[in-house]
Amino acid sequence: MIDVQQLTKTYGSFKAVDDFSFRVRPGEVVGLIGPNGAGKTSTLRCLVGIQSPSAGTVTIGGHDIVKAPVEAKRLLAFMADEPQLFEYLTVMEHLRLTGRLYRVRDVESRARQLLIELQLTGKEHALPAELSRGMKQKVAIACGLLHEPKALLFDEPLTGLDPLGIRHMKETIVARGRSGAAVIVSSHLLHLVEEICTRIVIIDHGKKVADATLAELKAHPELAAAGSSLEQIFLAATAGEP
Amino acid sequence: MVGAFLYLTVYSFKNRLRRRLQRLREPKYVIGLLVGLAYFYVVFFRRSGHRTSPADVPAIAAMAAPLQFLASLFLMGIAVAAWLWPAGRPPLPFTRADVQFLFTAPVTRRQLVHYMLWRSQIAILFGSAIATFFMRPGSLAGGWTLMAGIWVVLMTVRLHLVGVALRRLSLVAHGARGLTRQWLPLAVVLGGSGVLLATLVRAWPALGGMAGGGEVFAELQQLAGEGAAAVVFWPFLALVRLPAAASTGAFLAALPAALALLALNYVWVLQSDAAFEEASADHAEQQASRRQGPRAAVKGASATPFTLAPDGPPEAAILWKNLILVGRYVSWRTALRLLPLIVVLGVIVARSPAGGVAEVVGRMSLPLAGLVVLLGPQIMRNDLRQDLARLPVLKTWPIRGAALIRGQVLAPTVVVTSVAWLLLLTAALLGGGLRPESREAMVPGAHRLSWLAAAFVVAPAIILSQVVVQNGLAVLFPGWVAIGASRARGIDAMGQRLLMLAGILFALVVSLVPGVVAAGAVAFLAYQLTGAILILLPAVVVALVAAGECWLAIEGLGRVLDRTDPSAVEAVE
Repeated sequence: MIDVQQLTKTYGSFKAVDDFSFRVRPGEVVGLIGPNGAGKTSTLRCLVGIQSPSAGTVTIGGHDIVKAPVEAKRLLAFMADEPQLFEYLTVMEHLRLTGRLYRVRDVESRARQLLIELQLTGKEHALPAELSRGMKQKVAIACGLLHEPKALLFDEPLTGLDPLGIRHMKETIVARGRSGAAVIVSSHLLHLVEEICTRIVIIDHGKKVADATLAELKAHPELAAAGSSLEQIFLAATAGEP
Repeated sequence: MVGAFLYLTVYSFKNRLRRRLQRLREPKYVIGLLVGLAYFYVVFFRRSGHRTSPADVPAIAAMAAPLQFLASLFLMGIAVAAWLWPAGRPPLPFTRADVQFLFTAPVTRRQLVHYMLWRSQIAILFGSAIATFFMRPGSLAGGWTLMAGIWVVLMTVRLHLVGVALRRLSLVAHGARGLTRQWLPLAVVLGGSGVLLATLVRAWPALGGMAGGGEVFAELQQLAGEGAAAVVFWPFLALVRLPAAASTGAFLAALPAALALLALNYVWVLQSDAAFEEASADHAEQQASRRQGPRAAVKGASATPFTLAPDGPPEAAILWKNLILVGRYVSWRTALRLLPLIVVLGVIVARSPAGGVAEVVGRMSLPLAGLVVLLGPQIMRNDLRQDLARLPVLKTWPIRGAALIRGQVLAPTVVVTSVAWLLLLTAALLGGGLRPESREAMVPGAHRLSWLAAAFVVAPAIILSQVVVQNGLAVLFPGWVAIGASRARGIDAMGQRLLMLAGILFALVVSLVPGVVAAGAVAFLAYQLTGAILILLPAVVVALVAAGECWLAIEGLGRVLDRTDPSAVEAVE
């Protein structure tokens, strides 16, 4: 569903992403992890069409994000770490706008369903200024899920959520994966990645340094010595530990 | 603690200056700086070359007293407005960093107030210097006394406004008890207002019988210098006398009273018990969260302009969104701010001898419609100029750049066109210029309705062209356009804005040329064939050609927007 081939993104002379390739199949939840400045955000932004790749290709459901952006984006949902809402639209109006842009037929019923799932019932007519940080995050996620995307990208999805919200968010991500969507979760919370992801891609200095399941990473001859937790493997893979 | 605040103020200023100098590496800022400096040269320095000739001195001396009276009236107006109009921001507008670092530090409230007063010095000193340049003092000594005088006035006004805002905050916080706590300032304000009102009521019959505005003004000036009214006016006049002093001696004579007023306001501010911290912290948060959006706060979730159908072109959804934006930023407070303008217009209309109130309103509507058509698109910014700050979000939407721009330009076009049409209709119904029975009709007989219809057709085309040009510049030169609530500051940014304005006007004229040429050809052809001078048909041609150009321009701009990297849309200070 998500196919990244030899993706390169440069800013001037700086290469943020360097010849990066990976695939996410339907039903997979892939954890994209890496140290600060590794190129995760640049990768995600190229994947969703916010930025154009300097080289390489990104296809979503067979549609090239550069050549057929509208078709590709219709299958996509991107949940940024910082929810960007229109401060003059209510929660329900955000959902109606999203529904129209993504051509969702049954907006009202889908929206009600999502409001219940994300515990936003009663906040339909609230403006973003009346919502907490976590609730704004949930609104952004509700908008992302409204059109039942086939490919979902989460950037630090747990930021600002309370413990109950965190639990529900994990369930939401896993449920989307189980329902056949291709999911990418970018996070520094390694325990989250360890818990919900079926496969892990590690990026460092713009290059892919690992792409495997946790079990495969644990069995990797060069990484096995580091320990059995994802944290130990991550530090070894990114040379964060001597 | 003063040292820490001084350090923060000076280094903030120094770093801001350094950043502005650094951005001069980009040619666009250098060009902007050159234009800004040229503007300053023409407005201030070039003018200051023309010194006052000795023959003018008596005339200027004769003007001094009325000007001082006018200036003191202006100051009084500011003081009254501060009490009557709700302030849009807290008395001490701290930033989010101020709140985080200073509110949590072992700093007293008095020290926080001092810090804000320190910080305001840069702007007040700059304002004083600019005003001094503008007023062209005759000598260096005159320049220094004028600048010092303006500084004292501006500082006193600043302190007074802070004081009033703090008192208002205290009144809101303490309710009825606040009235007893603030009895002295309230008594002074109410007493002063009562005295002025009584003086005006007493003098009303005499004022009503006077022939011209000059006579009324002279009478008002005399009234302000007599009896109890003179006491009310004294503080404002005492302040104005300082920068208006014609000599160093006059300046020194006026200084004690002005300084006493400054000190009185300073003590008044320091003695306030208002808890400004909460309001300031809330304001700082709102400002930070609004950086990417409109300047004012959302007033509430009011009704939407129309029901958004689940199906249809995405342009309609963006129009819907941007019309909601307009509705939610208009409030009673906004309407209240327009009240003085409406009152002044009402007075002019009521006093106008020709044709009665309705006709005066009608006559005023036509030039106002012209102003709305030309200036409306610059003021109404509920389009890409607002949304470009959210470009990363917009780029995830499954729509083409052209469709996005088309949707964005619709809302300001619809709003400004509605206002222009309303004014044109008012002009047609009430004004003498377009009424068929009017003797002052500006166009002959049967053509009157044609002219009106032509104006109705051409107005939206001109508005749309301007909105497209404005949005096009935002797409092509995002660094030059004020995007979201942010505004670049500095002489270079001012120069850029002047260049942009010139560019917008030039682009508008150029974009209208093909339409006007085509309309001229159609009108000529029609005249040759029928002998009739057509008005509406050429107007329709102008509108159609302009609409076609806009469509083509949007298609091109859409392709640029599709390729635009959000990092190119830089965040300005």
